[in-house]
Amino acid sequence: MNAVTAGVTPWTVAKWMLALAIAVVALFPIWWMINVVFALPGEPVSLNPRLWPTSLSAGFDKIHMIFAETGYLRAYAISLLYAVLTIAGVLLFGSLAAFEFSLFDFPGRKALFAVVMLSLMVPTAVTVIPTYLLTARIGWLNSMQGLVVPGLASAFGLFMLVQFMRAIPKDMIEAARLDGASHFQIYWHVALPLCRNAMVTLAILTFMQTWGNYMWPLIVATKPEMYTVGQVVGLFNSPLSHHTVDTVMTANLLAAIPPLLFFLIFQRKIVEGIAMSGSKG
Amino acid sequence: MAFLDITSVSKSYGAQTVLENVNLLIEKGEFVVFLGPSGCGKSTLLRMISGLETITSGTISIEGQVVNDIEPAARGTAMVFQSYALYPHMTIFQNVSFGLRMARKPREMIAKAVGQAAAILKLDRLMDRKPGQLSGGQKQRVAIGRAIVREPRAFLFDEPLSNLDAELRVQMRAELMDLHRRLGTTMIYVTHDQVEAMTLADKMVVMSGGRVQQAGPPLQLYDDPDNRFVAGFVGSPKMNFLPAQVVASEAGRLRLSGIGGSGQADLPLDVPGLQGAVELGLRPQHLHLVAPGEAPAGLVLEGRVVMVEELGSESFVHLDLADGTRITLRAGREADLAPSVLRVAADLRHALIFGPDGLRIRGRDGRAA
Repeated sequence: MNAVTAGVTPWTVAKWMLALAIAVVALFPIWWMINVVFALPGEPVSLNPRLWPTSLSAGFDKIHMIFAETGYLRAYAISLLYAVLTIAGVLLFGSLAAFEFSLFDFPGRKALFAVVMLSLMVPTAVTVIPTYLLTARIGWLNSMQGLVVPGLASAFGLFMLVQFMRAIPKDMIEAARLDGASHFQIYWHVALPLCRNAMVTLAILTFMQTWGNYMWPLIVATKPEMYTVGQVVGLFNSPLSHHTVDTVMTANLLAAIPPLLFFLIFQRKIVEGIAMSGSKG
Repeated sequence: MAFLDITSVSKSYGAQTVLENVNLLIEKGEFVVFLGPSGCGKSTLLRMISGLETITSGTISIEGQVVNDIEPAARGTAMVFQSYALYPHMTIFQNVSFGLRMARKPREMIAKAVGQAAAILKLDRLMDRKPGQLSGGQKQRVAIGRAIVREPRAFLFDEPLSNLDAELRVQMRAELMDLHRRLGTTMIYVTHDQVEAMTLADKMVVMSGGRVQQAGPPLQLYDDPDNRFVAGFVGSPKMNFLPAQVVASEAGRLRLSGIGGSGQADLPLDVPGLQGAVELGLRPQHLHLVAPGEAPAGLVLEGRVVMVEELGSESFVHLDLADGTRITLRAGREADLAPSVLRVAADLRHALIFGPDGLRIRGRDGRAA
């Protein structure tokens, strides 16, 4: 038995088989999407299907057609702005609130935190109508603020950041106080840099959630000029659309690329962040 | 006017009282050590001086100014924490200069102040590192550096050496003494380690149960404690306490019996009318082994050897007396510790008497006994 095979047991083989099987199940739809886009129309779904792309130029033609002939680019811009503004807001409000909840004592702290945590258990479907009515009353329908503002205070984000900030030693906050740092300076110079990992994780998770959010934009932004990527893709998929499968797939692929890239670049941070928020609490 | 004046200070959390009626004067430039077991309130008192803890009642004044309601940063004190409390994401330079940067001091001034502190503490070469790359001793120096650059009126140390190993602790102790000599600034230091307290302090404040038990120079507390707690807490190994009965107290003599079973003693102590049970306090070095065949005058006790601690130059012998009291005595290397039962003579010139309430009983003429 040589050194390479020395550690291999039936158990390791079984584990790898299982991991590979899960990977195939997860990756195949994405691969199929690429396959359909970069092929001549009809080819992948013919009687003799191919599992690999056959025509790059056909794919680029379809992408060009979608960008040129539909409001896709505009939707991209709206979705990006929606995601970036939401991330900024969630990080700002979440970290400010977490700073107070985790490092300072004030009357009603526990009760308030409990209320916020309870809100995590209320399904979105329950709050959608009141939130819509409120947004409509303010006159924010079909506006960027209507899209963004209701999602700025994230109970999940607060929970996650509180877990992180609780791990900051009290001594450090007191040392900063003795060093003459103001309340805001302690937040800015001490607490915030110390939970940078958590902030990055929260930013990524918020991006994923905002980019994939379908229901709220569908309700609050009904005018085509405010459509997000999700809604545009929805139009492609609608029963009365005349698009062929490969055009619909191209729209889907374009929608999936940003979160895919995000995940590939930051996957390590995501895993680290989630693991830490669990173990430190 | 004293530099720091603590008057009738109390602290309670709800119904629980942590400090009770503390009165203390600290002079400028003094090295004061608060000594006591865990939970005695010494750290709370330090934190009240620093402003990190509010004062329930009483006043604390620094140089004549009542500071009860003054922000911690404005009190002119700097604190060094047991955990060092360095900011892990900042370099050593940024850590040391943090206070000055927050106060928006000019860049040149910051560089100069940090440079001076670094030179004093030999930190020059570590300035670009992060705290995570430093050893415990270096971290503690950085924490002290951060305090020095603020040019405080008083340094407050909260058990700063507790996280260091024994050797480093001795070294840092010497460095702290040197620092105090060079800067001449008032230093207030909290510890539960009485060796640390004895070696560092100009004035030692022994605390227990939220009260100051006694304050004074270390040797005064060692030689002349006011109560049983101070006598037992200061000194290592600790003082032996032997239960005794007063037989007679008259004409300037105090006669005791039943010491450690059947021992008797006659002390030159003038406490007319004293009767009942008392305790006789004797330090381990004031007990000597009696050679076989020798019959010394005064108090002689007999005890069974329980344990011998060999320290090289000397040994500490633990004996169980007839009434079950355990005592410790110091023996030289030449002593014969082979027998299982040893006889011990006490040097009663150094004996202290404590009443049932734990207070020291002193002679009417003020003579120590």
